Amino acid sequence: MTEWLDLGEDDERAIAAFMSRVANLRIPDPESRIPDSGQLWWKAQLLKKWEAERRAQWPLDVMQPIEIAGGLVAAGLLLYWSLPYLL
Amino acid sequence: MGRLDEAAFAAFHARSSRALRAYVYRVVGNPSDADDIVQDAFLRMLRAEVPADDEEHLRRYLYRVASNLIVDRWRRRKFEQGAELQSELSSPRPRFEEDADVAKIFSELKARDRALLWLAYVEGESHEEIASSLGVGRRGVRVMLFRARRRLRDLLQARGLVNS
Repeated sequence: MTEWLDLGEDDERAIAAFMSRVANLRIPDPESRIPDSGQLWWKAQLLKKWEAERRAQWPLDVMQPIEIAGGLVAAGLLLYWSLPYLL
Repeated sequence: MGRLDEAAFAAFHARSSRALRAYVYRVVGNPSDADDIVQDAFLRMLRAEVPADDEEHLRRYLYRVASNLIVDRWRRRKFEQGAELQSELSSPRPRFEEDADVAKIFSELKARDRALLWLAYVEGESHEEIASSLGVGRRGVRVMLFRARRRLRDLLQARGLVNS
């Protein structure tokens, strides 16, 4: 149970009684828009799958521009070294 | 350590979703946002693959995620500044005049105070459990809770519901 810093006993009783009223206030449309557990489970599995795919795809996404840049540099160097023979 | 399977999650969801929704709704004051936050909290818990051996641990994790989502929402919409929060909190329509008064008084507290008081009095959580649910230090909870109770006492006093 929670231990308190000091408020008077009357205050404590009033707060506890008030919070008991708060706890019993009506909640509108109980669980109206929350999907059931099956839908939540399915959605979470789908999100996990997408995340796994994104993680797997990530190195490819990072490497692609590096590969293109490397290819262009190699082509440039090849052209540079080949120039004397071509001219 | 075991992971949640679908059946275990269904059982956990059945036991915890109503209480979680009541907590979130009472703190944010808007049923639509409460539903979004509750759904997001369950999804994040599932995606994080929290060990399922200890249901209390799962529950704490769920409340912590929901509390963080509530804070994120406030920051995003700058609800702490007041007017918008006030108009939103007045949207629940309790059936009885007295319930309206109770809801109104509670809505006048800061959101963090509402969360603290709900967890302490309605959920019956200890300081340690509240600290875990809100992701704050245990010592801080003791002081924050005292201040929240004092602010509520002041509101009740201002309405003559507690002797000065």
